[in-house]
Amino acid sequence: MGVLVKAENLYIGYKNEMVIRNANFKIYTKDFVFLTGVSGSGKTTLIKSVYGEVPVVKGSLNVGGIELNNIKKSKLSYLRKYLGVVFQDYKLIPEWTILKNVMLPMLISGIDKSTAEDEAIKLLNKVKLSHKLDKYPAELSGGEQQRAAIARAIIHDPVMILADEPISGLDEYSANLVMDLFVMANSEKGITVVIASHSLPQTFDVNYRQIHLEKGQVHELS
Amino acid sequence: MNSLKSHAALILALVSILSSIFLFRLFNNIMMKYQHNILNNYSIVIVSEKEINNLNEIKEIEKIEKIDITKQLEYMKKKFKNLNLESIKMPYFYRLKLKTLPSPKKLKNIEEMLKSYPNIKRVLTYSSSQTKIYNLLMLLKITSSVFMVIIAILGFLLIVKQLEVWKLQHNERMYIMELFGAPFWFRGAALFKIAFIDSILALIITVGLIIYIQNSVIYNTLLSDLNIVPDLCMQKEFLLLFVISSGISFISSVVVIIGNSK
Repeated sequence: MGVLVKAENLYIGYKNEMVIRNANFKIYTKDFVFLTGVSGSGKTTLIKSVYGEVPVVKGSLNVGGIELNNIKKSKLSYLRKYLGVVFQDYKLIPEWTILKNVMLPMLISGIDKSTAEDEAIKLLNKVKLSHKLDKYPAELSGGEQQRAAIARAIIHDPVMILADEPISGLDEYSANLVMDLFVMANSEKGITVVIASHSLPQTFDVNYRQIHLEKGQVHELS
Repeated sequence: MNSLKSHAALILALVSILSSIFLFRLFNNIMMKYQHNILNNYSIVIVSEKEINNLNEIKEIEKIEKIDITKQLEYMKKKFKNLNLESIKMPYFYRLKLKTLPSPKKLKNIEEMLKSYPNIKRVLTYSSSQTKIYNLLMLLKITSSVFMVIIAILGFLLIVKQLEVWKLQHNERMYIMELFGAPFWFRGAALFKIAFIDSILALIITVGLIIYIQNSVIYNTLLSDLNIVPDLCMQKEFLLLFVISSGISFISSVVVIIGNSK
């Protein structure tokens, strides 16, 4: 397996506070990784830095051969097209229907509207939202919005999915459905999945690795 | 309702800017025509001992016309039968046409220069009435310019306000798009569309206002009283307004998109 993400002596943070200090870790292609740690340990910051929302302060963070330290905007946009991000607060466009929201990454990639629409309908069927195509995000429950956000994250077959606390606050049915989607993306499409979560799932019969964050330190546990 | 308000704000701003630009150009054109009319009826009269062929040193002079005094001489012959006109050496009279309507200061300079010629014995500039007309025209020009600049500034302020509203309205969508790697044009597509539609609507309203003004009785009576026919090419003017309108909208959209880029 090739290395998809490589961090060397990585420092990430803000002006007054370094959230991640001197981190060294690797994430491989087709990996299924749980990024664990208590609240405030830096999981979200680390995820954000991988898709370039939080800049690298020091060291090196290489994603898919692209160095994120001092990355240019155009290169960052290029990188983001190959990533699928599931945000903690879903980040669905409120004035767009669920169907259009799911189509977004394909439209950005320049795929024609009808193909994108067909793909989005197929995916929304899989995430059990086929009856909510024309609804707006505000008309959906949290679990439904999360499923739509995952459909959006995988529609364009990204190289890697980054999911920040994707099942927190969801009921058991929605949580299982969401995890099944990640497993499907990983096993069927070979997409690398990185899930930030405060704990590991109780029952999960997929080979996964764990990267644990504690007080700004990153430990590859498996 | 909010969307309508948001559209109305930009359209109103654009209409005020476009109207002020057009009125400024129209007024300048009318003033130019009016100055031209005045200039046609104005000339400096000089009396010279010798014939004058050119006054090249005075660049403001467009044309030198010799005034034919035969009729006046005939009249004098009849009136004063004892007068032997052949024995009197008559001076030469000239009418000087100017290239532009001169300011009082410039007119004074021209008069001084003419008087400096040894053969020129008298210079009649009729400066008093000319100065009044010139000052009145300048006053009108300055007042109208200031008024139109104020309207344009108000329009720009409205647009700045609208940019703030747009930033709030489109911020979230553009931010999410950026997180998925959307290029600049994709993030701004909706904004460009709104801005373009608004600029077209503003142009239609402005053109409607212009056509209404041009066909109004007051406007036409005023111009015919002044004996002025503005020669603005309306197609060119509308094209100019279209370029300005869409240009302002495009720049506004770009400002919002760049402002929202994180």
